[in-house]
Amino acid sequence: MAETKEKSHSDEKPKPRVRPIVRLGIFLVSHSFLVSVVCFTSGVLALFLLPVLAKNTYISENALMPGSASPMLSNHHVSDGNRLVKDLTNSNLKSSETGIESHKIIAKYMLDVGAEVSFHKFHPQMNQFHPLHFFSSPDSGKIQENCSCSSYGINTVGIIRAPRGDGKEAIVLVTPYNALTSSFGEVLSLGIAYSVFSLLTQVTWLAKDIIWLVVDSQFGEYAAVSAWLREYQTPKFSSHSTLNAEMCPDINYLFEIKVHSMAGSKFSNSFRRAGTMTAALVLKVRDQSEQFDDTVSIYAEASNGQMPNLDLINVVNYLAVHRQGLRVNVEKLWSLLNSGWLKSLGEIFESLATIAKSLNPKFKFGIPATEYVEGIATLASSLYYQALGVPTGPHGAFRDYQVDAITLEISPKFSLDKVWCSDILLRGGRLIEGVIRSVNNLLEKFHQSFFLYLLTSPSKFVSVGVYMIAFALLIAPLPMVAASLYVDANSSKGDSSFLFAITDTDEHGITIRSWRWLNSAKSVFIVHLWGAIVSLLPYFICQIPDCSPTTSFMIWVLLSILSLLILNLVLASPLACVKASQEKEWALVKSVTISSVFIGLGLMSVINFATAEIGALLMVPMCLLARPLKLDVRVGTLRSCCRIICNLVLGHIAFPPAAFFLFKGMLDGFGSANVGDFWMWVESLWAWNSATYLFIGMVQLPCWVLCVSILFHSC
Amino acid sequence: MEKLKKKIRSFSFWNWVIASIIFRLILIYFPKNLNLCSRPEVSTPLTSFRRLAEGYWLKQSSMSPYAGSMYHGSPLLLSLLGPLTVKRIEGQPNHLLYSLVSVIADVVSAMLIRATGQNLQVAYFGTLKSLDLVKQIELSEVHSSGDVAALIYLCNPFTIVACVGLSTSPIENMAVILCLYGACSRLVPLAAFGWVIATHLSLYPAILIIPVHLSFVLAICDLLLGYGPDAPPRKLFLQRHQQKGLSSQSKLPPGFSWGSIIHFAFWALLWSVYVLVLCGISLKQFGGLWEMFKSTYGFILTVEDLSPNVGVLWYFFAEVFEFFRNFFLIVFHVNILFMILPLAIRLHHRPCYLAFVYVAICSMLKSYPSVGDSALYLGLLGWFVNELSDMQFSLFLFCGYVGVSLLSPVMHNLWIWRGTGNANFYFATAMVYACLQIVLVVEGVSAMLNHDRKLRSLILDKPRDAKS
Repeated sequence: MAETKEKSHSDEKPKPRVRPIVRLGIFLVSHSFLVSVVCFTSGVLALFLLPVLAKNTYISENALMPGSASPMLSNHHVSDGNRLVKDLTNSNLKSSETGIESHKIIAKYMLDVGAEVSFHKFHPQMNQFHPLHFFSSPDSGKIQENCSCSSYGINTVGIIRAPRGDGKEAIVLVTPYNALTSSFGEVLSLGIAYSVFSLLTQVTWLAKDIIWLVVDSQFGEYAAVSAWLREYQTPKFSSHSTLNAEMCPDINYLFEIKVHSMAGSKFSNSFRRAGTMTAALVLKVRDQSEQFDDTVSIYAEASNGQMPNLDLINVVNYLAVHRQGLRVNVEKLWSLLNSGWLKSLGEIFESLATIAKSLNPKFKFGIPATEYVEGIATLASSLYYQALGVPTGPHGAFRDYQVDAITLEISPKFSLDKVWCSDILLRGGRLIEGVIRSVNNLLEKFHQSFFLYLLTSPSKFVSVGVYMIAFALLIAPLPMVAASLYVDANSSKGDSSFLFAITDTDEHGITIRSWRWLNSAKSVFIVHLWGAIVSLLPYFICQIPDCSPTTSFMIWVLLSILSLLILNLVLASPLACVKASQEKEWALVKSVTISSVFIGLGLMSVINFATAEIGALLMVPMCLLARPLKLDVRVGTLRSCCRIICNLVLGHIAFPPAAFFLFKGMLDGFGSANVGDFWMWVESLWAWNSATYLFIGMVQLPCWVLCVSILFHSC
Repeated sequence: MEKLKKKIRSFSFWNWVIASIIFRLILIYFPKNLNLCSRPEVSTPLTSFRRLAEGYWLKQSSMSPYAGSMYHGSPLLLSLLGPLTVKRIEGQPNHLLYSLVSVIADVVSAMLIRATGQNLQVAYFGTLKSLDLVKQIELSEVHSSGDVAALIYLCNPFTIVACVGLSTSPIENMAVILCLYGACSRLVPLAAFGWVIATHLSLYPAILIIPVHLSFVLAICDLLLGYGPDAPPRKLFLQRHQQKGLSSQSKLPPGFSWGSIIHFAFWALLWSVYVLVLCGISLKQFGGLWEMFKSTYGFILTVEDLSPNVGVLWYFFAEVFEFFRNFFLIVFHVNILFMILPLAIRLHHRPCYLAFVYVAICSMLKSYPSVGDSALYLGLLGWFVNELSDMQFSLFLFCGYVGVSLLSPVMHNLWIWRGTGNANFYFATAMVYACLQIVLVVEGVSAMLNHDRKLRSLILDKPRDAKS
């Protein structure tokens, strides 16, 4: 700030030399417009280059050794699995009013192979709004007082104790199963798990306990898994659960029957534990298939964009592709696959790569255009699901306890008849066996490979070191523009106020010159406080009974506007704005806004990178371009007209609900858009404790409000 | 007009004080949700409330409170605050009483800061008057530095967090402020008491003895010349007097006076003997004073606890090889001592500012820093709001502090709870924080020196202007 002033005085008084780093800073700040345009475009370009820059995955942890042993799962175990499938489908036909029968069958099968079995009864817990959840440890959950007997679920847990282990570590295999409306796919997944389970009771190499968790998915898979995990990780020392169990007759009946009929077996009434979980696999089989191959889909995104260790995905990918001949799939945004402009962009990159290769044969970075488009589609879906912050499956519950977990969904090529059934059982079983055997080799928990990455295909990834460059380029203009605005606003007062130049004519002898931004900081702070209030409001609104999403949304909007007005009245007291009519006040406000956005985006990039990236794409241009419309109208040149148009367009797009509807429209068409949708979406965000919600409420919305207020600033 | 303005200002001052107290009380009622008590930024091994409770429990069960390396504070705190750790009121939050004590400590500190700031401001005006710069005062926008400093101290989120997070730093800060208040109000016994207690509680304030002495020395000058605790260099007055043609040597301030130092030393000795006797009595069965020295000052100086905090030493000493440990311990502690003398020479005419710089440097280099220490020096910074009006990088520093204080919990979460980060992530924020403090001190000192230069140029230019 003062350096530039010093510059202006340098002809009068030779100043001591400015340090090189400060000079570099001054250079960047004085060319902030050019620098910011270059940085922003290169940031967007770098984002589109990510599929080209993606590296092939590799197994980083040597101990894993996937596929080094030949699979031991034989037809004998497959026939075991087939037997369970048959029994379960028959029991479904017989008595389908309660799921207890099928749970008993599963438990009996588990006991037959010599595993420890227990039931875990749980009440589905409503997802509650914890605004501070992110910063605290996973809590044990409040014990709910009034649980009716009708709404409970039963997880069946089978545990194999490892012959070579010390019982301190475990691998979890999860199969969701809804006994009431069980589909054949679910039963088949049980069959696969059982065939692996029966094999694992016999093997000698097992060093970690195996927990097979048959999850009762009638209240959702995630809720059941998280209930079991909560019980597993944070034991409750209250008598509540037992009390509840006694009060409910049919679950007592279940327990009693077990105890009587299988006396002397390894059934236990209490909650059983094994060691620390190293990894967890959730196994599903899809019923209908539209694939041309037997495929395994991998779902990995947990809450707040957390990913499991890349090695786990690598192991699954390696075994599925190279050992079992299954195709591996990760989520894609299908709508992007047919877009023409991406294809042409891919072709441009491809031709650039061929030119580069013709210049020097050592340059090998090109990828075919089709592969590029697929990479972009995968990357986009990876970004989308991470940004949403909502887990894509029950594996998300494990990540909250630092357990690496993924969901594998096997979709067979043909409809599931007997022959193909055995084939799927064999290949799926061998895949699971291989993964478990590999994880069994681990000496430490997964730590070797990446936790922060984006997938561009099942075998290609972009690591944090690469994608952060794109993001850093996007947000690099923010501090520079903030500094240049700050310098402008401060130097506009005139040169006479410089340190040594105080004369008697000077109006301000000793002023708080360098603290003038405090006033703008106050208004920015008020708006951010308002943002915090707005993000807390849904907590109270959802307490109102019988409220349709549309009305809730309307109430929310009204209350938000009201609170903004009240805050302005209460906190913007006339005392504080001693010099409210500063000529360049908007520049200071913009400078402080940009600084706060920079902090917010930087913070969010650490919490959830994808949210920050998408947010930066929206907010950075809006922040950078914001300028009072009056000034631009007054000038009336072509450049200012362009700026007005950009400002108006961005002002509309960057409003969070508008951005939401735009995204939704792009994905599913504009026909079905409804105001209540936004409320539903927001509700799902806070129900899943997504940090994206806080980001929208406390960074994006205040930023939008501030930018709009700058646009309409009267100067 | 002027009076009216002042009235409005003071009215809003009390409003803000009450608002900040209410805000603290609201936060106290949600201790579980915030869980500030266990945050590494708030409670260090020295200031942790849980360790205090543990020490009290050990003492109650007639064991040494220092057994098991749990408690490392003063035995006096155990006797004074210990009962509050176990006393509960039905239906109220667990540690309500202790929280109320820290709220009171904060308010008292703020009032002392305010009184000191007003003293300083009167002295500042007196200086300007004696330098014939009254016109400059009338023209300039002068803020009541006492009010500003007190409000910065009370409304600073760091202070609030340290107060609500049940750490003992509000009490340590109060002792330091008491010492400075005594020094500025020329109450030798009070200053000595504050100094002894502050040193006893956290050791590092011991170096404040230099600014306190300087302020007493200057206080003697004050009697002669009418300028107060913080003033431009004496040379300036000399020049002024020469210009005026007053060359009377008798009016010039004496360089050094043994009397005040002996007076202070006497009181400091008295108070420290008193404190040591009290400590000795309370630790009679548990190994006596030597035990206390070993597990309080020894613990501070040898950096035994390497659990993460906002400082940089924990990481360094976790990495360093065992046989270099002693060497680096000496290096880091001598680092503070090295800075004492140059700063004292350069800023000897402004003892209060010197005290601020010392406190800031200590909070940067001390072995177990917490945000409570930053709260103290940021509050003290408010005293010099008029002098530091030209400080550079103020927005940058502000944003840096905001950014670091938000980033630090996130990085901690990434490291401890999510497991996707590691210690380097958290340490990175600690380094940024240390850099910010360095920038603050450097810029603050240079702004203060520039201010003195400006005053000199005003004085020297004036006669020329008059001639022209």
